[in-house]
Amino acid sequence: MKSFSLILRNEWRIMIADKSLILVCTLLTLLLSYGFFIGLSEAVSRDERVRELVSQQERGQSGIVEQIQRIVSGHEKPDVFANPLNPALVGSGLGSLYAIMHSGALSPLALGQSDLLPDHYRVSTRNKTTFMYQTENESPWNLLTGRFDPVFVLVYLLPLFIFAISYNLLSSEKEQGTLRMQLSHPVTLQTLMFGKLFARLVPVLGVTILAVIVPFLILRGDAVMVSGQLPHLVVAIIIIGAYGFFWFAVTLFVNSFGFSSASNALILVGTWVFLVLVAPVLLNVFVSRMSPAPSRIELATETRLITIDGLNRYHELLSSDYRHIKDSSMLVPSDGKFEVPERLQAFYLINKAVDEKIETLLGDFESRLRAQQDLVERFGFVSPSVLTYEGLVSLAGTGTRRYQDFKQQVNDYHREWKEFFEPRIMSGQIVTVADFEKLPRFTWQEPDVSILLAGSLAKALQIFLATVVLFALGFMRLAKVDVL
Amino acid sequence: MLKANSLTKNFNSNIALNSVSLSVSQGEIYCLLGANGAGKTTLINHFLGFLKPTSGEVLVNGKCVTSNPLDTKRDIAYIPENVMLYGVLTGLENLEYFSALATGRKKPRDVLRKLLADVGLPAEAAERRVATYSKGMRQKVGITIAMAKNAKALLLDEPTSGLDPKAANEFSRLLKTASENGVAVFTTTHDLFHAKETGNRIGIMRSGSLLAEFNSDDVSHADMESIYLKNMRD
Amino acid sequence: MTWLIVTREVREFYRDGRFLFGAGLVAVLFITAFLVGYEQRQNVFSEREVAQQLDYDDWINQPERHPHDAAHQGMHVFKPIPPLSFVDPGITNYVGSTQWLKAHRQTEVKFRPAQDATGLQRFGSLTPAWVIQVLGPLLIIVLGFNSFSGEREQGTLRQLISLGVPSWKLLRGKALALFLGAFLLIAPLLLFSVWAVSGDDLAGSRHDTLIRSGFLVLGYLVYLGIFIFVTLAVSALTATSRISLIVLLAFWIIGTTLAPRALVDVARMVYPIPNQAEFNTQLNQELQREYAEAWQEHFGTDKRWGSDVPLSRWGEALRVDDYAGYDAIDRHFGALWDRYEDQRRLQEFFGLLFPMLSIRSYSMAMSATDFTHHRDFATSAEDHRRLIQDLISSNLTQHADGHGERHFDYKVGKEFWSKVPRFEYAAPAAFFALQGSLNSLGVLLASLLISIAFAFWSSRNLI
Repeated sequence: MKSFSLILRNEWRIMIADKSLILVCTLLTLLLSYGFFIGLSEAVSRDERVRELVSQQERGQSGIVEQIQRIVSGHEKPDVFANPLNPALVGSGLGSLYAIMHSGALSPLALGQSDLLPDHYRVSTRNKTTFMYQTENESPWNLLTGRFDPVFVLVYLLPLFIFAISYNLLSSEKEQGTLRMQLSHPVTLQTLMFGKLFARLVPVLGVTILAVIVPFLILRGDAVMVSGQLPHLVVAIIIIGAYGFFWFAVTLFVNSFGFSSASNALILVGTWVFLVLVAPVLLNVFVSRMSPAPSRIELATETRLITIDGLNRYHELLSSDYRHIKDSSMLVPSDGKFEVPERLQAFYLINKAVDEKIETLLGDFESRLRAQQDLVERFGFVSPSVLTYEGLVSLAGTGTRRYQDFKQQVNDYHREWKEFFEPRIMSGQIVTVADFEKLPRFTWQEPDVSILLAGSLAKALQIFLATVVLFALGFMRLAKVDVL
Repeated sequence: MLKANSLTKNFNSNIALNSVSLSVSQGEIYCLLGANGAGKTTLINHFLGFLKPTSGEVLVNGKCVTSNPLDTKRDIAYIPENVMLYGVLTGLENLEYFSALATGRKKPRDVLRKLLADVGLPAEAAERRVATYSKGMRQKVGITIAMAKNAKALLLDEPTSGLDPKAANEFSRLLKTASENGVAVFTTTHDLFHAKETGNRIGIMRSGSLLAEFNSDDVSHADMESIYLKNMRD
Repeated sequence: MTWLIVTREVREFYRDGRFLFGAGLVAVLFITAFLVGYEQRQNVFSEREVAQQLDYDDWINQPERHPHDAAHQGMHVFKPIPPLSFVDPGITNYVGSTQWLKAHRQTEVKFRPAQDATGLQRFGSLTPAWVIQVLGPLLIIVLGFNSFSGEREQGTLRQLISLGVPSWKLLRGKALALFLGAFLLIAPLLLFSVWAVSGDDLAGSRHDTLIRSGFLVLGYLVYLGIFIFVTLAVSALTATSRISLIVLLAFWIIGTTLAPRALVDVARMVYPIPNQAEFNTQLNQELQREYAEAWQEHFGTDKRWGSDVPLSRWGEALRVDDYAGYDAIDRHFGALWDRYEDQRRLQEFFGLLFPMLSIRSYSMAMSATDFTHHRDFATSAEDHRRLIQDLISSNLTQHADGHGERHFDYKVGKEFWSKVPRFEYAAPAAFFALQGSLNSLGVLLASLLISIAFAFWSSRNLI
């Protein structure tokens, strides 16, 4: 142990003298801070947008309530196509409410799917295809490229920094000739290598973890505490630590073959290309093969066919006349009832029919995607980068699964919304001020935290296992290495 | 102190050492002569435990190197042809590290400075980065490391090649001092003159075999040259 | 003498196993990517063809009904798959594939394939273009990093120069040897494209596809050429092959991994884009203003579809309302899409430092999978929607408005349905792509020239 700490301190002295350690740590901190800045500004602007939507919605709602009061008291004459008393119009757009999924406290960690999948839907009595496919205004080129968030720095760049500082762990000593000098003293090659490795591992991982934690605690500490996501942060740190350990184990393993520095660099970059660039992409090909998404074209065709069917079925209702336009007294209720135009009833029924018919088809999309996600989780072990990415993204609350849960909840909410309006539309009850109080509102239910945490810890564990195996293999190989 | 018993080493089909037996006792300076590729360095590598014998054994202080790799290294100090040090550290820092690695104890810097001064390294140079050193200066740090270790045996691999005559001479003197203190010294060299001057015993090696062994006092310079050439010829 | 150098270099690549191993690996990925992409294209292609045909049949065969209701049924148009999309699918996964042409409002192109994939999609796709863009330069670096520095270490460089071999000849020979390696990488692309186009009646205009593949191959040769000369230059400048390898790998990593993402931020900063909510608010405000103006002008009321406009003018109102919106919609979407293009162009300029940024957009343009091509499709689909709307509103004005109160009893049949033409979208020709790529191609060629000059400058004094 004595020589271990001696080696450790000597390595630090060398790396401080040649400035490599400081350079790597500074660059890593800068990149992580920049990533955090990008992640945070996206999260903040997302939160602001949601706040803006909610306040818009509240203004709109209170405007409608006031209008109802004016109409009921006879101060204003309603419009045919914008009558706030008409349940068909209120339900299909006038009174629509947003279903919003709030961003998680750790969302600056990873943008994940947040730039692609919507975090809010404007739910109405229309069928799902009319509001479920809203998307963000992001240039497709940017979506394709991806963003510079902390997860990118951690998954892609951290391994490269680890390589930069330790690719020639053994080979440089060999090439300089200092290896013979050291090994002529009572110290084993294993002790020497582990000493050198830990001299790098401790500061690099220390800086990485601090650069992740500190900005969170300073800039988002309250959010983390209030939302009770401190365990999430801890698990995220465990995953990051495991991932860092893994890449150090890889460098040790590669070094233990005793190749030249240039060969080590090539082999390490090759490993990086395979594990970080290629394996996830191949896994993606694999999961989309195993559980292919159903055809969107089929969905489109189906939607159209059902619409045609509805148009035919409710033919009579649709061609009803528009007496309301002429006779505006019809727009004003008597005894809380009024005649909902048959045309609008027909549209409601058509939309309902479309929803019922495409339910299975949409369900199929969701279950296929869930199956894909399950496969990703099951076969994530092919690359620690996949495990780390998936783990961090799900902890940040920007993973595929959370968005799917959101869709599921919006689905239920949509049903609730329709159930609220259907009797009113079909029996012609007016929408009252009191109804606005009773409108179903969406509240996002965070899925079970323990499952998320356990799943993420399992990912960290898998990375640790791979790390331990690599360390052990490297250790065994070092015993046999040809020092000359 | 250092002992090789019918040591044989094969690299694939090449015979690098062929049943070599020799021993160096305390206070003795053994000079091994031979051309490039004769197997001198291979023999040293066996004493250091860098290579494992194909057959036979190597002993340091009575202990087998193969089975006690760390223990045996406590008793030996090694100075290669080129002493390699960390270029970004100063001579003093290098000495501090290597001597602590050797003994498991950190020596006070003053003691180390004195040791460096003893071998003739200017005080100013001790605080400079090793990258700026000449070969002779590095060699001096190497000797200091060996001395600081208080080893019972010194292994030197062509220590004087590339040194100017004055430095080589100083070096020989240091070896003599060491042997007077009871250290066993084993050194390889091409330099017949140097071997005759410093060595007590002299061995001649060719193609992995130890061909001749004699006491340096028993032969004159002229005899030695003819023995050497004779052994090289056949 | 040049060929002497080339043969020696190639022999060395071959002997030390680097080439066989590296190129073999790249080739396997390359072929996998080709097959996966080609098969997917084949499947989706036929499905789209069938769906598009069915869609129009249903339109023609719909029973008699009010034209506006027919507009609610609408028509689906499916974005055709460009023949070369299996080489470079570009932004295909991140833009919609289907547009539903319906009454009232411009609809977006929906169904982004990326929405039906897991987060792994964000790691990228295995496509031939990705293999050449990312792994191609790496292969060149692996083959060439020690071209000069390795010979310098061995001492053979001194020997060669002492024999009187001029350094530029040495450079030319080494560059040619590396080009040979690059060509081995590109050749399959050429072969596959020719094969795919000639043996494939789905490919649309074969002539056009051939021109596009030609330009694609040319672009990639320029791209790899830049890396060849940069690799040789760095190898000539550095003292040891270890250093040249580290410098080149750093250049590769920054160029292919770091720079693209960092430049997304730069582009977003220079050309900010409103988010969906802001965009909708602005568009709606402007639309309300335009609508009010138009209704005021024609019907003397600023209330749309209010009771002031009788059903006897419903068809006319539909037309007025439609036209009032077109201008604002075109302006807003046009501005948004121009922003996208501005962002892309800005990133292309950085191709001067990181060639990946310009080859990426060049390759997408040549494969007809970039945003410019997508925009062309979206625009012509919207034009088709407007055509349908016009036909309907003028028909209503002529016939239904006379029915007065019973406006919605008016029905039309097959005779009217067949007046609406089939949506025939012809993808723009190669010339269109080339026009849009002048910028990226220019940047690529400039980088090539700079890298050649750099290589000659750094090899002027090899010892």
